[in-house]
Formats: sequence, structure tokens, C-alpha cells
Amino acid sequence: MPGWVVSLIAPFIVLNAILGIVTYVTLLERKFAARMQSRVGPYRVGPHGLLQPIADAIKLMMKEDVVPDAADRPVYNLAPIVFLIPCMLIFATIPFAPGLGVADLNIGILFFLAVSAMEIVGLFMAGWGSNNKYALLSAMRAVNQVISYDLPFIFAALVPVLLAGSLRLSDIAAAQAGLWFVFYPVIGQLAFVAFIVSTVAAENRAPFDILEAESELVAGFRVEYSGMKFAIIQLGEYAHVIGASFLGALLFFGAWAGPGPEWMGPIWFLLKAMVVFLLVTWVRWSFVRIRVDQMLALSWKALLPATLVLLIGTAVVVVWRTPGV
Amino acid sequence: MSADVLAFWSLAVVLVGSALAVVLTKNLFHAVLWLALALTGTAGVFLLLDAEFLAAVQLLLYAGGIVTIVVFAIVVTERLVGERISQTSRRIGAGAVVAAGLLLMLVRTIAQQRVPDARPEMAADLTRTIGETVLTRFVLPFELLAVLMLAGLMGAIYFARPDD
Repeated sequence: MPGWVVSLIAPFIVLNAILGIVTYVTLLERKFAARMQSRVGPYRVGPHGLLQPIADAIKLMMKEDVVPDAADRPVYNLAPIVFLIPCMLIFATIPFAPGLGVADLNIGILFFLAVSAMEIVGLFMAGWGSNNKYALLSAMRAVNQVISYDLPFIFAALVPVLLAGSLRLSDIAAAQAGLWFVFYPVIGQLAFVAFIVSTVAAENRAPFDILEAESELVAGFRVEYSGMKFAIIQLGEYAHVIGASFLGALLFFGAWAGPGPEWMGPIWFLLKAMVVFLLVTWVRWSFVRIRVDQMLALSWKALLPATLVLLIGTAVVVVWRTPGV
Repeated sequence: MSADVLAFWSLAVVLVGSALAVVLTKNLFHAVLWLALALTGTAGVFLLLDAEFLAAVQLLLYAGGIVTIVVFAIVVTERLVGERISQTSRRIGAGAVVAAGLLLMLVRTIAQQRVPDARPEMAADLTRTIGETVLTRFVLPFELLAVLMLAGLMGAIYFARPDD
């Protein structure tokens, strides 16, 4: 097969795999949350509710698409797409097995961080374009939150980069052949906790879901969206969470490393990503929402200095353990 | 026409178009969104030149960060909901003259340089080179920039502190 065919087909496969995973992850989360609350969760559609995501998707597609009269129409209509693109692009540099990925850039992790920072543009377009007080307030809170939690997220993700000595995601995965970074004494565990906290915050999930706080802001920036546009925003959000889970599994759990033959690699990777996802979900359904000022204080007064010290400490350890420096 | 050239011209159209839209749009919020597109297009040009690191930093700092802050500034300086401030171009004539003069100067300077037809091959991994030179050859300017940013940060804190 010529090279350009591969580079057309690979993104197509990944994109569709992500769509499939996202569809079923919503069911996983609902089941998981239901079990945590002693409920059964979706059960009626198909055996054990297995067809529920399909039913949801069909329902969303058939819903009427309402555009508010006062909305800024081009911005309002473009926002879901602008929001979705970065959420899908983050999968571009993730290698699912040695040599199996869309593009294994030598700055893979930086690409991930940069692209996921673009998500806020789409989010703000949705909040502003709706021309709705609640949506705008929600978008303001989102900007606050994203500015505050981007840095701890980057610093936490840079710890494995320092330990592996490379920005390329496949190198970071390969460097964990002997020891997964989550088991690296002290540094690994601290970095992983910081990573999980800032992931939960960056994904705007409870207890950091102040931008869609139902009791204050109805549904936040997506309050005016319905039908397929709403579905696209939800899709983007879940894709971002899954992307961050894959990144967490790659940075801390050795990506595709696991027992069994080599073709099991991607399956192990998926399982590990789902473990990270369930960890995030567990946090989401365990804690109550915190206030805006508490959230900002947590980031600027605790998480940011702590991750910064951790990063410097990691650099010291790496230099100390490298012979001949 | 090779794929590189085609990609460059498409990017150039997007870049120039969105840059013009930034200054010509009346709605200030739309102007910021056009700016985001222009900055993303610049990242695309970096990608075409095999400078992935610069492209990622361009997205991270400019398209993501700066746009966020600009949008934030717009929102806090005008009434939250209601009348929207618009961008006015009262001195569009003078601005055009200055811009044309600058363009002329740039074109003349570039025309005097001999630009090789083919791009020279990259000697080593660009990301590694940037990292090494910033911490060795350019360490002084790098540290001075850090001091400048610290000064800016302290200035911001000074203005933001509550009056008492």
C-alpha cells in the first residue's frame, strides 16, 4: 500500500474506534455510577441495557435543532465543531502499540497538551454565541478553570517525560518496560495523584464541574444546544476524557506492556485507559461540588507549587541517577 | 504542483484572509476568533517547515492562551449581557499607509537576500537543538526574559490587590 493511503486510512480507523469507544463509555459510566449509588442503571434497552447508547444516539439525531433568536448564529453553529476537532485530534499522537498510531511525532506529548488547550476556544464560542446569561457565566468560569489547571496538568505530565528523557510518546511507553512510572518510588505516586486531580479539573468533571453546576447555571455553556449539536459537544467532552485516560495509562501504566502475546498490547492499553477512566469517574461520583474560590485556591496555592517542586525534584533525581553527569 | 506547495498556498490564503478579517470585522469577539484562526494557521506554516515544536508551542501559547486571555479581557471590560462594543476603524487611511510602508520595506529587504530554492536539510532533531541552545548559548536572554515576566507578574498583582 502506498504511504498516502495508509495516512488516510489510519486516522479513519482511529476516529471510528474513538466514536465507538465514546458511545459505550457513556454506558460504562452510567452503570458504574448506578452501582455506586445502589441502583441498576440502564437495563431496559437490550440485554443489561447494552443497546442504550444506540437508542440515545438515535434519539439525539431525531431531535429538533433549535437556534435561539438572539444567538450569534455563525458562532453558535460553529462552536460544537470547533469544540470537537481538538478533542479528536489529541488521539493523533497516541501510539496504541509499537508503531501502531496515526503520527508518532517527536513532540507527541506537547502536541497533546497544545491541542487540548484549544478546546477552550470552542467552549467559549458556545457560551458566548448562545447569548444566554447562564451560558456566558459558565464560559467565564471555564476560562478561569482552564487557565488554572493547565499548568499543573502540564507539570504533572512532564514528570514521566523527565524520567523517560523524551517527548515522544512511544519512547515514554518503551522506557517503562522495567518499571511503570506509577511505581517509581515517591515521585511516581505523587505525579499520578496530581495528574488525576488536574485531569478531573481540566475535564470539568465533578467536584470541579462549576461551569455546568446544575443548581446555579442549568446546564452551563450548552444550555441552548439541542439535538445533534448537543450530541457533538457531549461527544467532544467524552472523547477528551478518554484521550486523557489513554494519556494517563501511557504516562504512568506502561501503555501496551502486559502479559500475553504482542497482539494483546492494544487490548492491555485499552483496559488500562478504562481503569484510569473509572478512577476519574469514581472521583466524580464521590465528592460534592466545590466553590469557585476553593477551586482556584486549590490550583494556585496547592497544586501548582506542589507540581513545580515535584518537577524540580524529579530533575534532581534524574541528574543524580544518570552516570557521568 | 507538489503537496507542500499546495498546502502552503492554502495556508497562505487562510492566513491572509483571517488576518484581514481580524482588522476589518466590526464585532470585537468575532475579531478575536479570526485571530485564533490566524494564529492556528501560523502553527500550520511551522508544521510545513518541519518545526513541530514551534507549531505546538504556537498553539499552546498563542492560539490557546493568548486568545483565552483576550476573550477574558473583552468580557470583563464590557457589560456582561446587552450592548456589545464594536471595533471602529476611524483612522483606516493612516493605518493603511503605515501598513503599506512596512510591507514595502519588508518586501525590499527580502528581495535583496538570496533565498535558496530548496530548503536546507535539518542537521539534527530541532527540539533537541532548541533545548540545548536555550540553556547554553542563549541562557542570558532566556533568563532576562524570565525576569521580565516576573516583573510583569508582580505588576499585575500590584494592580489587582484590594485597596485598603
